[in-house]
Amino acid sequence: MELALIALLGGCLALDATSVGQFMLSRPLVAGALTGWMLGDPALGLLIGTVLELYLLVSFPSGGARFPEGTTATVVAVATASASSAPGALPVAIAIGLVWGQVGGFSITALRRANGFIVPEPADSRADARRVAAAHLGAVGLDFVRGALITGTGVAIGRLMILRLAEAWPIGERESFALMLAGGAVSVGILLHDLGGFRERRVLFVAGLALGIVGVRLL
Amino acid sequence: MSALSRRAITSIFLRSFLIQGSWNYHTMIGTGFAFAMLPGLKRIFDDDQESMDASVRRHLDHFNAHPYLANVALGAALRLEADSTDAQTVRRFKTAVRGPLGGLGDSLVWAAWLPAVSLTALALWWLGLPGWVVVGVFLAVYNAGHLTLRIWGFRAGLRDGRDVARTLGEARLAQLGARIQSIAALLVGVLAGVVLAGRGGLSEAGLPWLVLAIVCFVVGLFGGHRVWRPTAIAIVGAIALISAWGVLP
Repeated sequence: MELALIALLGGCLALDATSVGQFMLSRPLVAGALTGWMLGDPALGLLIGTVLELYLLVSFPSGGARFPEGTTATVVAVATASASSAPGALPVAIAIGLVWGQVGGFSITALRRANGFIVPEPADSRADARRVAAAHLGAVGLDFVRGALITGTGVAIGRLMILRLAEAWPIGERESFALMLAGGAVSVGILLHDLGGFRERRVLFVAGLALGIVGVRLL
Repeated sequence: MSALSRRAITSIFLRSFLIQGSWNYHTMIGTGFAFAMLPGLKRIFDDDQESMDASVRRHLDHFNAHPYLANVALGAALRLEADSTDAQTVRRFKTAVRGPLGGLGDSLVWAAWLPAVSLTALALWWLGLPGWVVVGVFLAVYNAGHLTLRIWGFRAGLRDGRDVARTLGEARLAQLGARIQSIAALLVGVLAGVVLAGRGGLSEAGLPWLVLAIVCFVVGLFGGHRVWRPTAIAIVGAIALISAWGVLP
């Protein structure tokens, strides 16, 4: 029952990524919090959502670009981590989530190819309002099913794997979290690169760095 | 415009939220565009089923733009159809605006607004604000900008029709994007600062982890997007190796 509910949540959130609205409910930060809340552990959901938001800062649904599906990655990671209280639950769940996010990305590419066969051709004389609406809404429905199936499968596999892997995790929680943060630092670097690079943005970056350190000390 | 009721216009605006619903590599968001136009076309062509179907087919053509700024083209195309503009002009207009609306939207929203709001939310979380506040701030701030852009674009298109390009130029969206990018660069620094110095942050984990994070940051800074996937694979690989080390007797 719980797996079905998680799959439904994954399907709904996957819709937000491209097909419906793009209110950013599908971003890891929000998807993590929602999944954690659904599973009774919002703090875990938010922690994983934050780490994956850091990783996926530079991933957005721009045009036809193939991107790792952050929603699937997050829902799968949170639901997988919630199945274990071992110290390795966080890093192992995040790794599973990242791998499954790629699978989600490939499924989006496949869906977009399939949509090419569903939508009516502009030159087709039989294309009318009813056929256009049916094809379009059918494609939205297909995206929901895709999101739910990918999420459900990912959680089922992830929960099987984590029970074995997380128990035997040999390094401490603090070091594990630092490893996750170090990985996320790459995305932060890429983002600064996208924003103009260090040479162009060094004054703003250093000012922000000082502000962040002082802010932490004051609060 | 008299042919269009307030209800039809509202319905088209609401349908614009589904414009990417049938995204495909052939017509991209063409079907979504036609789907959104349907309530308006039904009102405009009323009993003339043949003209209505021909217009629907024209709007099925290949079209792509940023999903939020596609509303500019949607509103303008609706205005052109309501003014009985000839089919070739409508087609030429859509072809002319799709590139600028895509590029402008990508640089304003995906490359500036979304990262800026995400960075703010992440920094707030690291500063210790309650999770529901962080998520609430993220959704409220991001969607304030998102909905403003959608509503403004749709109204501008509907009001100005073919002349909407001038309105777009006067709105100085590219300059706005550049300003938000500057703020985002400051926020990258803020986030780096709170992650370094905050509770549970890198400074508490020890020097080797701090050095590793700085090296990773520099790799991302100079490598750009092409290093994202190899790094993700490396992180997953490292976790797999550490797990295997623990599992092995």
